[in-house]
Amino acid sequence: MTSAGRRRGLVRPYVITDGRAHPTRNTLDLVTLVIAARGETGGLSPEKRRVMELCRGGALSLAEVAGHLRIPVSVTKVLLSDLVDSGHIVTRSPIPSAELPEPAILQEVLDGLRARL
Amino acid sequence: MTRHIPEAVFWCLLAGALAVVVLLIRQRQISARLRRSVASLEDSVRSRDEEVRHLATVRLPALMEAGPHQPAGAPGLLHGHLAGSEYANSLKMVSDLFSRAAQTAQARADQSAKAALMASMRALQGLANEQQLAISEMQERHDNPDVLQDLLAIDHTNAQFGRRAQAIAVLCGSWPGRQRAASSLEDVVRGATSRIRDYRRVEVHAQVEVAVVSRAVEPVVLTVAELLDNAARHSQPNTTVQVNLQPAHNGTAIVIDDAGVGLIEQEIRRATELLTGAGQSVDITRLGDPPQFGFAAIGVLAARYGFSVSVDTRSPYGGVRAVVFLPSALLAPVPDEGADSVRTRAPSTARHAAPKRPSGPVAVPELVPESDGAQPSGAEPAPVYGSTAGGLPKRRRRQPLTEPAAAAERPAPEAPQGRSAQDAAAIIGAFARGTRSGRASSSDHEGNPHT
Repeated sequence: MTSAGRRRGLVRPYVITDGRAHPTRNTLDLVTLVIAARGETGGLSPEKRRVMELCRGGALSLAEVAGHLRIPVSVTKVLLSDLVDSGHIVTRSPIPSAELPEPAILQEVLDGLRARL
Repeated sequence: MTRHIPEAVFWCLLAGALAVVVLLIRQRQISARLRRSVASLEDSVRSRDEEVRHLATVRLPALMEAGPHQPAGAPGLLHGHLAGSEYANSLKMVSDLFSRAAQTAQARADQSAKAALMASMRALQGLANEQQLAISEMQERHDNPDVLQDLLAIDHTNAQFGRRAQAIAVLCGSWPGRQRAASSLEDVVRGATSRIRDYRRVEVHAQVEVAVVSRAVEPVVLTVAELLDNAARHSQPNTTVQVNLQPAHNGTAIVIDDAGVGLIEQEIRRATELLTGAGQSVDITRLGDPPQFGFAAIGVLAARYGFSVSVDTRSPYGGVRAVVFLPSALLAPVPDEGADSVRTRAPSTARHAAPKRPSGPVAVPELVPESDGAQPSGAEPAPVYGSTAGGLPKRRRRQPLTEPAAAAERPAPEAPQGRSAQDAAAIIGAFARGTRSGRASSSDHEGNPHT
């Protein structure tokens, strides 16, 4: 068993969220990007401090935060919405699909790559 | 002559009377002595009767009651004057035999009770752990907050259930169970918080950056959980339980304060006895009704792992202050989370990166055949040594001798003039780290390992 597996399960999710399962906002999803807005982490729980440390380096998606913290995504949502409420982080929705490149261009790139390799 | 006859008769009679009187007096004396001796014998028999009754009704039950631990307080002889007599010695033999038999019977009963309890608790513990895994998986799988809310409640109950089973199993001589990685003291305390009913009333104030070594994590978690449970259970629902972590010269103390009713003198004495392991083997039939396993289990753990627990101080809030002192032997520096995450990710990246390291920068073109999955584990195309009977090429293990040779000649063409060996090593190291972290992060973004 890896050390991650052994560490998992020591602090249970209900302690992390203080028994809450409903995030204070329902605008968060797996690809929501999270960015640290404040530097200080005083008075935060260890998980929230970790989130702040992770986000200080730049934007991270919610799914990545959950992966780094090794806690379920739904629990991460509760944590992150708390942090948004306290002003420690800001969220940014991912680039909307309209701004994504055209499928045709992607197909061309794919074809070109295939031709080269 | 005839005048002398009555005189003679008189003297004879007088002598006879005297003899009778003397005899009577002797007889009287003898009978008095006999009476006295009968009385004393009667007395003695009565006292022995009483003594036997005392033995049967008072002393033996007291011995049975006292158990093997405090034979000193047993009542002695009823009649002190019998002490040292043959009779008293026989009685002593009887009571000794009795207490020995009682002890043996008790030890055997204790042992079998413990064995039965331990086996059943181990089974329950296993089930609780299994269920916890299942709950964790469900928490990962379901995204609906309503479902999560229910799962959290089930998880919480399951954790308490596991703790109860674990405490009883430990008390019966079992090991605390799960092996865990070294964890920071704060996580250990919060892990303990996870296992009690009123976890929301516990406030942890962490001022120390120290971790508990792997083997002591579970025992310390269980100990703190039992103390927190006591603290929360014996205080009002609207009060909080304060946990402070205090660094000390040769260890760290976990201080748990509650604002509850506190312990009375007698309870403190009893608790101290259990916590310091003064009673040695704990008698599970004497834990009260309902049985209180907490302190006894903590005592067993403290003795086994070498930390100490005390509850004999009053907390500033009027309740109990429980102090768990962990000596330095059970502590370690906090494990680096970053290093840990790299290490756990290593299996996916190392599979590709590790075999390539000897070939250095030349590895880049080799990624191509590897990436379409034709060659697992990225081995260099090995020289072919003949073929099998089926016509397939036969590959031989690479000779370990060639690697150092290749490593020795590599830096020469690669390093430009005027660069020291350390510089070259640092550059190559940085390059290797860069490629590794690049691959690691790319595998994270795509959510699947880089193949």
